[in-house]
Amino acid sequence: MIDFNALLSAFSILGSDAAPWLVVLPGLLIGLVFGAVPGLQISMAMAIFLPMTLYMDFLTAILFLTAIFTGGGFGGGIPAILMNIPGTSSAISTAFDGYPMARRGEHNEALGLSLGASAVSVVIGYILLLVLIQPISAAVLKLGPTEMLVVILWGLTMIASLSEGAMSKGLIAGGLGLLLGTVGFSDAGVLRGTMGVTYLMDGIPVVPAMMGMFAASELLRLQNARYLVADDAARRVSPRRIFAGMAQTFRHPGVILRGSMIGIVIGAIPGVGSSVSNLLSYIETKRRDADPESFGKGNPKGVVASESANSSSEAGSLVTLLALGIPGGGATAVMLAAFAMHNVTGGPQFIRDQADIVYAIILANLGQALLLVILGSLMLPLLASLVKVPMNFLIPAVLSLSVFGAYGLTGSIAGPVTLLAFAVIGWLLRRQGYPVSAAVIGLILGSLGETAALHSYQISGGDPAYLLQRPITLGLALLVIAALAAKPLLARRRLRRQAAARAS
Amino acid sequence: MTFPATRRLADALVIALIAGWTLWYLADTVSASSRVTNLIFILPVAVLLLGLCGFEALRLLRAPAAPAPAPAAEDDPEDLAGTLKVMALFAAYVLSAERIGFDLATCLFVGLYLLLKGERRPLIVLGYAALFGNLVTLFFARMLPYPMPMAWL
Repeated sequence: MIDFNALLSAFSILGSDAAPWLVVLPGLLIGLVFGAVPGLQISMAMAIFLPMTLYMDFLTAILFLTAIFTGGGFGGGIPAILMNIPGTSSAISTAFDGYPMARRGEHNEALGLSLGASAVSVVIGYILLLVLIQPISAAVLKLGPTEMLVVILWGLTMIASLSEGAMSKGLIAGGLGLLLGTVGFSDAGVLRGTMGVTYLMDGIPVVPAMMGMFAASELLRLQNARYLVADDAARRVSPRRIFAGMAQTFRHPGVILRGSMIGIVIGAIPGVGSSVSNLLSYIETKRRDADPESFGKGNPKGVVASESANSSSEAGSLVTLLALGIPGGGATAVMLAAFAMHNVTGGPQFIRDQADIVYAIILANLGQALLLVILGSLMLPLLASLVKVPMNFLIPAVLSLSVFGAYGLTGSIAGPVTLLAFAVIGWLLRRQGYPVSAAVIGLILGSLGETAALHSYQISGGDPAYLLQRPITLGLALLVIAALAAKPLLARRRLRRQAAARAS
Repeated sequence: MTFPATRRLADALVIALIAGWTLWYLADTVSASSRVTNLIFILPVAVLLLGLCGFEALRLLRAPAAPAPAPAAEDDPEDLAGTLKVMALFAAYVLSAERIGFDLATCLFVGLYLLLKGERRPLIVLGYAALFGNLVTLFFARMLPYPMPMAWL
């Protein structure tokens, strides 16, 4: 599966010239800043710095852009942990357990876990890419809308698992999110639910809505708190504890491996990517854990599951870009533009003819993971100091940053207005005991689900027998059903074991 | 009005709002096009959501209102008046930013928030509002590819 001559040639390309490495550190730093500032997007950073790549050779240009991608992937988890604002939709489930950890004074450990899981899974993701780029690209070509629909339905099962009190409230919040996600033009060209507002024709801007529901509504709730971390002693920033958190990552090898596998496979599916992979990894980790109730309350495994999946999704998205020449999302679309600027076309021929360059990109990304650890270790103590800022100063600052970020995402006041509207909706839902995370997941999966359902219907002509010709769809559907059915069985077995342990 | 009764009323209001919006959205979707390609996803989700709202409404009618979860002392999520004031200030900020300029709106929002939360040292209020407001506006004005309305920057 590996072309060893090309691999040796890749080592020689990377070893003979320092230029490709010189751009990696600035790229990581740019990505880290853009990922960590709520509202600034990784794809935005890549687009802003794209013209600079004109003056670089192809390999250096791609390494610069992938460094921004890697730095941004990790950076998005930082505000998710410290402020409950997922910098990107790929860090949603990082906030589920990272933020409760931070509020309990374990911000150092949570940031360390996030850095450790990100770095390890970038390595795992790229090693898998190195070995499996050809078979994965062949498999991706076989995936159609019915398979995507099953993957999205799998993501939707998370809504039920997020319901803490009454499950009906979780399902209502999720259903509301799903419907809100379909507002605007559908893929069939029909306009719904805009009330004549032209800004809504493209749908509700998801990231400003997510920032409003998660962050702004939480900040409104915390407006009387003095500090993010209530306990004075727990607010200390400790590099030692950040490193302890990184080391803690290795206590969960199964979670990292599963997250990395989910990340690379889901990341390779165009249009789905890391927004869904982090959710799926989180669901599976929670579902398989001996103590699923501890998730959402600051379980370190939740942070590891989410970060490992969203970081390895980067390698997955490169599969489709390199092997098929298809961008899976905004970031890889910018990379495709860099390909075009250097007169390079991705696809099977590129993989075959330029295998040494492909391997050099993969190997350099393995090196980037190490540099990410060094850079992250230097930056995290500084970023963790945020917990020492009194809430009276932090709240207006974060709300203003969110407003600017929302404006930057939409290019108009529609972004900040969406942020405001969803801050109020999120506050109201939270106050009445509805899980806002279920609504946010619904919002993200709503339009994806509708598109996959519509394409499945169009391609099958409405004939359910079509599914019999799609063994991957059937296999995936069986896996989802088995996972759902196993949940009550496992819970019953766990209760029986606990009862037996108490009796003995 | 006792607290549980208020809570029950708020619960009922939220359910009514969600069910009402869902009905309106479903009607709007059907009126836009009643073809399968338009309803394939929205119709089943809306029907399910309306059913769940009905179930939740029944649950609310039958069971006594659940007591509110005990809040962490300093979070005080039940400080409704304080939250509404912050929400109103935030709404004023968002809705005025484009008209009066992002720089002025941000400085005003940060300064007024500090005053609202009891900060009375003029140097702190003015200094933090001016420094943060201008720096953050300048940063985003340079980074974003869109023009932003400004008062002085």
